[in-house]
Amino acid sequence: MSTAAPGHRRRRLLARPGRTLAEVLTLLIALVVAFPLYWMVLSAVKHPGEIQSSAPRPWTTAPTWDNFRRVLQVEGLGGYLLNSVVVALAVVVLSLFLSFLAAVALTRFRFRGRTVLAVMLLVAQMVPVEALTIPLFFLMRSVGGVVPQLGLNHLGSLVLVHLAFSLPFAIWMLRGFVAAVPRELEEAATLDGASRFRFTWQVLFPLVAPGLVAMSVLSFIHAWNDFLFARTFIISATENQTLPMAILVFFSPEGNDWGAIMAGSTLLTIPVLVFFVLVQRHLVSGLAGAVKG
Amino acid sequence: MSTVQTAERPTPAPASMTPEMKKAVRRTGWVRRAPLMPALIFAILVTQLPFLLTIFYSLQSWNLVRPGSSEFVGLANYVNVFADSTFRGAALRTILITGGCVLIAMLFGVLLAILLDRPFRGRGVVRTLLITPFLVMPVAGALLWKTTIFDPLFGLLNFVLSPFGVDSVAWVSQYPMAAVITALVWQWTPFMMLLVLAGLQSQGKDVLEASATDGANRWQTFRWVTLPHLRRYIELGLLLGSIYVVNTFDTIYMMTQGGPGTSTTNLPFYLYQRAFLGFDVGQAAALGVVTVIGTIIVATVAMRLIFRSFSREDS
Repeated sequence: MSTAAPGHRRRRLLARPGRTLAEVLTLLIALVVAFPLYWMVLSAVKHPGEIQSSAPRPWTTAPTWDNFRRVLQVEGLGGYLLNSVVVALAVVVLSLFLSFLAAVALTRFRFRGRTVLAVMLLVAQMVPVEALTIPLFFLMRSVGGVVPQLGLNHLGSLVLVHLAFSLPFAIWMLRGFVAAVPRELEEAATLDGASRFRFTWQVLFPLVAPGLVAMSVLSFIHAWNDFLFARTFIISATENQTLPMAILVFFSPEGNDWGAIMAGSTLLTIPVLVFFVLVQRHLVSGLAGAVKG
Repeated sequence: MSTVQTAERPTPAPASMTPEMKKAVRRTGWVRRAPLMPALIFAILVTQLPFLLTIFYSLQSWNLVRPGSSEFVGLANYVNVFADSTFRGAALRTILITGGCVLIAMLFGVLLAILLDRPFRGRGVVRTLLITPFLVMPVAGALLWKTTIFDPLFGLLNFVLSPFGVDSVAWVSQYPMAAVITALVWQWTPFMMLLVLAGLQSQGKDVLEASATDGANRWQTFRWVTLPHLRRYIELGLLLGSIYVVNTFDTIYMMTQGGPGTSTTNLPFYLYQRAFLGFDVGQAAALGVVTVIGTIIVATVAMRLIFRSFSREDS
């Protein structure tokens, strides 16, 4: 392998003690950074009396599953989980499809106002969500009058609003990828008799796959973690609520159930973590491509 | 890098074409692009509609407490916004929080990316550990900082610092800004790190070899070869980071509720207070529009300032 040789030599250029020091330093920083997360998991398995203690211990001698049990006993939790999965996957699939096509249109076609459109997408993303929540509430109510499935109290309203907030970012990321695919490739494909449709889906789509992966991670996190819209749009139809709402049960004026809150937060983080670990190798190359062109 | 940019620029139609030919080319062009346009139009519609709605509401006097009070008032809401001293304070704090968070997070991000760029045992694990803050729900992350780290009685920070005589500091109420920015930096460093890491890994090894052959030391190579290469990645990270951090709400809501007083009230939180506690939709919308315009201005100026230093080598 010719590519392995220079990397190998470069590594040897660094002095050994310096290298070890850098590695130890990196590991230390990583532990500090991940510490709050560890603390979350730790609090989730501690007994309630042990969580708020003036001498907090970074371990526990008597781990308990009681906190998790209380979370899992929340009424309708299975339904909440299903709703969260449906919303997050719908957002990922739809934004994958739409942002890819929109990015191709925005990159491959020259038309008047192309740059303005691209900038407008980014500007829309800058509006504070809080300013939009009430207008969107009324908008969704009107939409619900026409298509009930997309209106208030339905999962469709959540999909629609998350789509609106993840598309601009997704299109901006994919623009770079589409631009990086040489035009000659399209000409070659056309000469070989491939239709534009076939070229777009069978050549271009796989080529921008790393970008699509990076993009879907971000849309997934965005939709999965949402609290504000789930809270505002799903008012009376409790069967359509999403997972973060389940944690709300443990906040009360008489005192919050920290053990259950931490256990719930832990459970919520697991799917994101799994999703991330599955795609993390592609994520870095995905972000690299976003800048090209 | 400049070749990439020029290749991107649309090439004008050859001058030899007659107007009729150009028109024909354009017509077939629209037939070919038709299948892709609906996606773009839908995307634009879905993303712009809320923004247009905000502009529309910002010109109305509309308070939810008084049903049917909605009427067109022109720019009156904007006049109120600029006359409001709480708004000016909130604007200043928004800049402080955003600038502080994004710059510090980028500094850490670059540092960590450099450390992670070399292969070593357990790199995958370390990278996953470093990314975790990005994966936790912002609400849960802020809660974690407030209750387990900064808490005056049960907090870990006081516990760790107690051998040094510091043990009863109420971090969140005594240093509210520092506390908020710390939690935000923690949350945003992974994003910056990933972007810079992507930049480092896209750099050709041959360039580094060449610079080493030319006798450059490691710092010189970083300063004159790697840093200019990273410029676009850092730029993108600062831009996207700012867009998100300007809109920070969860962290402030969970940690400080904008307080003590208004000492951590940023624009989104102030806006939330106006819209959800004051039910003043028109005023909140005007605040939103002003925030967007402010963001664009500040971001443009900041970008120019930051990149003046090493813009000469590139582009």
